[in-house]
Amino acid sequence: MGLAGAKNKRKLGNDPNNTKWSRNTDSFGHKILKAQGWQPGDYLGAKDAAHAEWHTEANSAHIRVVLKDDTLGLGAKRNHGDECTGLDAFQHLLGRLNGKSDEALETERKAREDLKRSLYVEQKYGTIRFVKGGWLVGDQVKDAPDEQLVDSQNGPASEAPQGAAQVTEATATALMESNKRKTDQDDDRTDDKKRKKERKSKKRKAESEAAADGESAREKKSKKSKKRRAEAEESDGEASFSSRSSKKKKVEVKLIGESALSSKAAASEASGVPDDAEDAAESGMAKKEKKDKKKDKSDRKERKEKKRRKDSALETVIATPAESSLSTPDGSGYSTPVPTGSSRYLARSRFIAQKKMAFADSAALNQIFMIKS
Amino acid sequence: MAFKRSSAEREDTQDPKRQKTNGDGSAIMDPKQNPYLAHQYEDDQNGFESPLDDFKRHKTTAVQAAKAEDSDLNPWTGVPHSQQYFMILKTRRDLPVSKQRQEFLDYYHSSQILVFVGETGSGKTTQIPQYVLYDELPHLTGKLIACTQPRRVAAMSVAQRVANELDVQLGEEVGYSIRFENKTGPKTLLKYMTDGQLLREAMHDHAMSRYGCIILDEAHERTLATDILMALLKQIAEKRKDLKIIVMSATLDAQKFQTYFFNAPLLAVPGRTHPVEIFYTPEPERDYVEAAVRTVLQIHASEPEGDILLFLTGEEEIEDACRRIGLEVDDMIRESDAGPMAVYPLYGTLPPHQQQRIFDKAPESSRKGGRPGRKCIVATNIAETSLTIDGIVYVVDPGFSKQKIYNPRTRVESLLVSPISKASAQQRAGRAGRTRPGKCFRLYTEKAFKKELIEQTYPEILRSNLANTVLELKKLGVEDLVHFDLMDPPAPETMMRALEELNYLACLDDDGELTTLGSLASEFPLDPALAVMLISSPEFYCSNEILSITALLSVPQIWVRPNNARKRADEMKQQFAHPDGDHLTLLNAYHAYKGAEQGGEDAKKWCHEHFLSFRHLSSADNVRSQLKRIMETHGIELVSTPFQNKEYYINIRRALLAGFFMQVAMRESANSKVYKTVKDDQLVMIHPGTVVTSPYDWVVYNEFVLTTKQYVRTVTNIRPEWLLEIAPNYYDVETFEKSEIKSALMRVAEKIRRRQAMKGAK
Repeated sequence: MGLAGAKNKRKLGNDPNNTKWSRNTDSFGHKILKAQGWQPGDYLGAKDAAHAEWHTEANSAHIRVVLKDDTLGLGAKRNHGDECTGLDAFQHLLGRLNGKSDEALETERKAREDLKRSLYVEQKYGTIRFVKGGWLVGDQVKDAPDEQLVDSQNGPASEAPQGAAQVTEATATALMESNKRKTDQDDDRTDDKKRKKERKSKKRKAESEAAADGESAREKKSKKSKKRRAEAEESDGEASFSSRSSKKKKVEVKLIGESALSSKAAASEASGVPDDAEDAAESGMAKKEKKDKKKDKSDRKERKEKKRRKDSALETVIATPAESSLSTPDGSGYSTPVPTGSSRYLARSRFIAQKKMAFADSAALNQIFMIKS
Repeated sequence: MAFKRSSAEREDTQDPKRQKTNGDGSAIMDPKQNPYLAHQYEDDQNGFESPLDDFKRHKTTAVQAAKAEDSDLNPWTGVPHSQQYFMILKTRRDLPVSKQRQEFLDYYHSSQILVFVGETGSGKTTQIPQYVLYDELPHLTGKLIACTQPRRVAAMSVAQRVANELDVQLGEEVGYSIRFENKTGPKTLLKYMTDGQLLREAMHDHAMSRYGCIILDEAHERTLATDILMALLKQIAEKRKDLKIIVMSATLDAQKFQTYFFNAPLLAVPGRTHPVEIFYTPEPERDYVEAAVRTVLQIHASEPEGDILLFLTGEEEIEDACRRIGLEVDDMIRESDAGPMAVYPLYGTLPPHQQQRIFDKAPESSRKGGRPGRKCIVATNIAETSLTIDGIVYVVDPGFSKQKIYNPRTRVESLLVSPISKASAQQRAGRAGRTRPGKCFRLYTEKAFKKELIEQTYPEILRSNLANTVLELKKLGVEDLVHFDLMDPPAPETMMRALEELNYLACLDDDGELTTLGSLASEFPLDPALAVMLISSPEFYCSNEILSITALLSVPQIWVRPNNARKRADEMKQQFAHPDGDHLTLLNAYHAYKGAEQGGEDAKKWCHEHFLSFRHLSSADNVRSQLKRIMETHGIELVSTPFQNKEYYINIRRALLAGFFMQVAMRESANSKVYKTVKDDQLVMIHPGTVVTSPYDWVVYNEFVLTTKQYVRTVTNIRPEWLLEIAPNYYDVETFEKSEIKSALMRVAEKIRRRQAMKGAK
């Protein structure tokens, strides 16, 4: 926490681990154990026990405990977000010293750069959430692309954003996952039918996730919803939609085109996500909205984590479209969650914006300089 | 074994032999029918024709057994089966184990030791002992079947269930035995018991000769007693080839058990569980409580019907989360038409009637056609194994639990929030699939699951103070403690500390042999320090009082301090407060309770008014009478100093030291709140729950715990002179390292010497 953190004074004794006792080899216990044939460093228990392979260090010394007095989640670091900076510059060198191949180093470097860039974008503008809207096959929107189309269309269209998106993962998991994904891609290329099925289900998952996104965002602003729903119905016909890769923060906008909602699947989709379509449409011309979106930088991360988790969870809701349309309250039109707190960036950008506005507004300037007109 | 039946029942059996007798219509009564002669015919198997008569021990088949079960008469009692019996029988036949009965018997016949793995819901706890019963035929051999359970409640409830299934009275053919309660009779064939109880029996019967088959259930929980029993049974099995052993576990990694038991055969039965989908978070959570609350809300908002189980670590956290979830759900209902949700906390110290609420039905939808209601249970890890709650479809697992871990170096017992194990995470997830396919939301990343969690939860034997265990082992006749074949041998330091403590308590002599005192102390189901204190209390003329205090210290906290009435509760406690410490305060409260009870007051009401736990006080009362019986059998006098005597409380305080002289702390310096434990030199504070307000220089304490800080709990003021007098061995000042404690003790010793010299001069 650094200097700003709460002070936590704890008085320690001279010998908090009581090494005085543990070093003492004259104690009664030590004597008895030795008399029975124990040697320091040995495990207790039967000699050459068959089950000894399962013994851990807990069998040789007492279990060490850590005093946890916060509610930090499992695996979270206290100084998450302000790790030591500047080490990036040396990664290349360190990697080489560790004997990594140039190719590996190059990919790592790229991944780092992508990560940095997307982090920058995310911090500066925030991310926009999109909802899966199906596939345009010919002139029909479908739930998933046809088998043949997987290669031709899906390959470039959806794998690429996935690739880009995975970099945005701000955590260490990103690299791991990307590896996994890469293997996925390879598999795809082998054109195995099974794989495709799998992928299909994955797609569906992504879809439902996305829909759920909308849903949860919607809940937050149910007040605005009614008006917007009307709008959404209008925009129904021209459902411009976007693909959003699963589990990712970053989104690649793909306006695939206008389409008639002819296929059943698409219809059900639309019933579940009318405002998302509208949302996407809006986002096309939505410079205005950007401002709003900026606002939510603050605790977006937290939220998003949860959203995302949720997303994947919500599969079943969407799997049954009838139910989903029943259960979903109306949306707000914002795919990004609305922030409640504030951050440094937020305050600053708002301040700058206010200043700019003031300078642009002559009435305000007059007021500031107390010029009577 | 006897099959006594009334003559009326015999009428129905249409026994040809007896019909003849009746047909005679003669006044000569069949002697067998004479109730006064019944004992002569006790062993007469022809009392009724039981299908069991043609059974050959260890040669029965599942078909035979099924036939016996299907017969109109109860093969064990000869009484006609009730309607209910056949209904239960039908459901029993549907259990997953039932399909593998023959397979089980084949394994059972072929091997002395069998490892049996059955997931929760397979019916192993109720069915396997019955299968053994039909094969072991204990009424012929007189050797019982024992089935151990880690928990008392489980032993009682399972015994009741099995008695119903066999259509017999609980306490007759099927019984149970737990600490301080024995519900078995001369006819008992199948006995459910706690593992600790079987261990206590083994102290007096080293070969467990009463039993023909011992079933260790829930072995995966690895309680202290189960671990010792396993090692013991391993030894006995070599000597007694007729003893059969079944080790039952719910987890699939039974390989360790197999290897441990001489590569015993393994039989696995699938449970009746549904798949559970597992979700991780993509990134670690900053605040797991917050994340857990949000996850519950999101599930409620967007997932279909199904109850939620959320695991948190402790009472405070749980109550807090419950409150927050409740408030948020109210908001959600108001603003977005969500379904109603009932939120129930669940933790060990919750009174039973409140624990019972978790079994309530989920609330109905608030209006017709609205979103369905659900319930959300926020629980500690007691909901992980001990309790089965049906209807749970969603599990939220932040990955933490509170664990008790003993440190032999500083002798502190820590109760800290720590990450769970992988095994325990899987157990938690499994809770979601009891009724239908479920989902488990883990509030950590997959990477954290793989890297930060240990494989298995540490068994109790690695986490506990072993003083009691070592004493038990000595009593069980285990000489070589070093090579005692435990599945998980404890750390050598833990063993050393236990030996050392027992030596200072004079339970072990300098060669490590059990002393008379030690042998006597092991008769008490208590920690050695408590037992020694109790045994030596007559020397201080206060064994009655020490007995009460011992009983009160062996039950959970009797003080009730509800969140909404803390101040009032503290005031009430102050009424009983004794300025010299918590032990005496406990005693005062107990005396007041007994006084109220004898005064004809409604004890329950009285306890409620005085913020005392009626449940724990009455259980302390029960423990007291059991301990009293043990004292009487061993000729320990029950005496009291008259209350008017000014020595009354002093005697009690001195008697405390007879057992707890190793748990003494001295104030570090005047005006300081920090104390230092004797010999281990650990800095401790007195737990805020104490009644002691004026700081004393020397205190004796009952426990030393590490929660947020190092605390000593339940403290009483003492005088240093007593230490030198009562435990001169431990307080041999020469052996102390140079410290404030040493110099303080030296001063005290000097004072005593001078006083004696003055006396001598007079």
